[in-house]
Amino acid sequence: MTQPAVKPRNPVAAHPVTSAAIAIGIFASIFFTLWVPIYARATPKAGDFPFFYFYLLAYMPVVGIVLWIVIQLQKRLTPPSRAAASAREEAK
Amino acid sequence: MNHVNAVTFTIVVILFLLVTCVGFAAARWRRAEDMMHLNEWGLGGRGFGTFVGWFLLGGDLYTAYTFIAVPSAVFLTGAVSGFFAVSYTIMVFPIALIFLPRLWSIARVHNYVTPADFIRGRYGSRGLSLAMAFTGILALMPYIALQLVGIQAVLTVMGVGTSSNNTFIKDLPLFAAFLVLAVFTYVSGLRAPALIAFIKDILVYVMIIVAIFYIPTRLGGFGHIFGVAETHMKTVNPKTGKPTGVFIPTTGNSQLAFATLALGSAAALFIYPHTITGALSTRRRAVVKRNMALLPLYSVVLGLIALLGYMALTDKVTAANVKKAGGNAQLAVPYLFQHMFPSWFTGIAFSAIVIGALVPAAIMAIAAANLFTRNIFKEFVKPDASPRLETKVSQWGSLVIKTGALLFAIELPRTFSINLQLLGGIWVLQVFPALVFGLFTRWFHRWALLAGWAAGMIFGTIAAYKVATPTTSHWAGSTDIEFGHTVYIGLTAVLLNIAISVVLTVILKLTKVPGGADETLPHQYTADGEVAEAPAPAGVGLGAAGAGAVGDLQPLRGAKCASGPTGRGQMRQRPRDAPATGW
Repeated sequence: MTQPAVKPRNPVAAHPVTSAAIAIGIFASIFFTLWVPIYARATPKAGDFPFFYFYLLAYMPVVGIVLWIVIQLQKRLTPPSRAAASAREEAK
Repeated sequence: MNHVNAVTFTIVVILFLLVTCVGFAAARWRRAEDMMHLNEWGLGGRGFGTFVGWFLLGGDLYTAYTFIAVPSAVFLTGAVSGFFAVSYTIMVFPIALIFLPRLWSIARVHNYVTPADFIRGRYGSRGLSLAMAFTGILALMPYIALQLVGIQAVLTVMGVGTSSNNTFIKDLPLFAAFLVLAVFTYVSGLRAPALIAFIKDILVYVMIIVAIFYIPTRLGGFGHIFGVAETHMKTVNPKTGKPTGVFIPTTGNSQLAFATLALGSAAALFIYPHTITGALSTRRRAVVKRNMALLPLYSVVLGLIALLGYMALTDKVTAANVKKAGGNAQLAVPYLFQHMFPSWFTGIAFSAIVIGALVPAAIMAIAAANLFTRNIFKEFVKPDASPRLETKVSQWGSLVIKTGALLFAIELPRTFSINLQLLGGIWVLQVFPALVFGLFTRWFHRWALLAGWAAGMIFGTIAAYKVATPTTSHWAGSTDIEFGHTVYIGLTAVLLNIAISVVLTVILKLTKVPGGADETLPHQYTADGEVAEAPAPAGVGLGAAGAGAVGDLQPLRGAKCASGPTGRGQMRQRPRDAPATGW
C-alpha cells in the first residue's frame, strides 16, 4: 500500500494478502473514528463514562496496536536485502 | 502582583531555570563537528532514534492547544468544538503512516530540510515551492502565538504581571519567557526542544495522571462530572436561543461537523512544517513508522486533558473564577489546578503547561525559519549561500518569527486562540494536494496545483472570516454551512483545491504546457538511509558516493547511479559515528 513498485518485483503483487491486510488495517482505524454514528451514544456506559467518551479513549491504545501490526506486515513486503540491513541496524 | 502563591511561583521559576540550563546545554548534546549547518541546527543532526523521536514528536504534536485550548473549548461548548480533537489525534497516525515514511525517505536521499524543498525538487517549480513556504510560515505564526497565549493563561492565574494596564509591564513575564526561548533556540537549534521534551513529557504525564485520579474524587466522581456537563450543555443560552453546547453529537449536522473537523485537522497535522521537522530529524525510516504506532499512547493523555474541561465546569469555584476573569475560558484549566491541588503540585502542573508550550514553540520557530532560509532566501536572494550562511539566516529568522508571534499573542483577542489555530489549519491543508499526492504521483501539473492552492487559500480565509455568532461578528469558528450541512471549512477548501487542480491538470496536459523537471526517482521514496553519511557535515564528506553538497537543490547525480538495489549494501553506513547509544 505504502510500498510502491520496486523493480524488478512489485512487492504488492507478490504479497496480495499481506497488502490487503495492511490496507484494511489503516483504513479501518480511520473509518471507525470517522463514522461518528457508530459511537455517538450515551449507553452502554462503561463505569461512569458515557459510551461516546469511553469509546474514543479506548480507541487510542487499539489504534496503536493495529498500526504496530500493520508495520510488522509492511516489513514482509520489504525486499530481503533491505530487511537484513534493518535487522543489522537494530542489533547495534 | 496580587495573590502570588510563593510556593507555586518558586517551583515554576526553578523548573523554568532548569529548562533554560538544559536548553543551552543541549548545544553540546550529540555534538557535531560543525554545528553551523541546517542539518545540525535545524534537524538536530538527523540522527534521533525511536526513543528520542517519541519524546520529540510527542512534545511537538501536543502543544498549548492541547493543554489550554482543547479543554477550554470542551468547557465552553462540549464535544463538537473540543472533543473532536480526540478523534483527530486518533486519525492522524494512520493517515501519517500512509505518506510520512515516503516523505522521510525522499528527504533523506535528496537532503531536503523542508517540505517546500521536496515540492521544489518534485515539480521543478520555484513558484509552487514559494507558495508552500509562504503557507507554512503563515500557518505557524498563529500557532506559535497560541503557545504564548497558553503561557499567558498560566501566568495570569498565578497572579504574575496582572497589576498594570500597561501592555508592556503586564506582559513582562511573557516577554521574559519569550526571550529565554528565543535565545536557547538561537544557540542550540532543534537539540534544545528535543532535550527539553524529556522534561516536558514527564511533567505532563505526572500532571495528568494525578489530575485524572485525584480531581474526580474531590468532585463526586466521573458520574457526577458527566452529569453536570450534560445538563449544562443542554441548557439554552439566552443570548443565542440555542443549547450551550453538544454533550454527545447525535444530530446529523453535529456529527458531520465533528467528523470533518477531525478528518481535516488530522490531514493537516503532519503537513505542518514543525511536525515534518520533527519527523525528518529521526535516524531511520523505521523510526518514523514505529512512532506512528507508539504516539497514540501519548494521545490518551490528550483525551484525558480534554475531560479537564468538564471538571472545570463541575467545580463551582473554577467556573466562578472564569466568569470573574471576563469569561476567559482559557483560564479554566489553570484555575482548576489552582483550586484543586496543593500549591506545590500546582507549581508542577503549571510548569508542565509552560514548558509544554515552549517545546513546540521552539520547533515551530525553527521550522518556519528553515522554510524562509531554504525556500525564500536561498531560492530568490542568494542561491550560492553557504551552509554556514544558511544556518545564520535561519537563526536570525527564528528570532524574527518569534517576535511576530509575540505581537500576534498580545494584540489579538485571546478567547479565540483555538479558532486562530484552526485558521492556520485551513491554510496549511491547502498544501495537502501538492505535498501528499506528490509523494505518490507526478500526474498533477505544477500550475494546476498552484491555482488550486490559491483558490483554496482565498475561499478558506473568506469563509472563515464570514463565520459569525450572535456574540462575535467574524472569525467565530471554523465550520460553516455548505449545502445545508455543517462542515469544516478546511475540508471544503481543500476539496475545491483538488477539483481545480484536477481540471486544470487535464487542460494543461492537453495544451502541452511544460510540467517541469522531476529530480526524484521512484525507488527513492522507499529508501532507507541510502545516502552515505546522511547528515553530511558542512561542505565536507562528499565522498565517492557523491552525496552532493548539502543544501544543493540539484539531485544527487553521483548517488543516483550508485544507489540501485545492488549498491545499497555498500552505500549504507551508519549515519554518524557519535551516538552509539540510543540517545
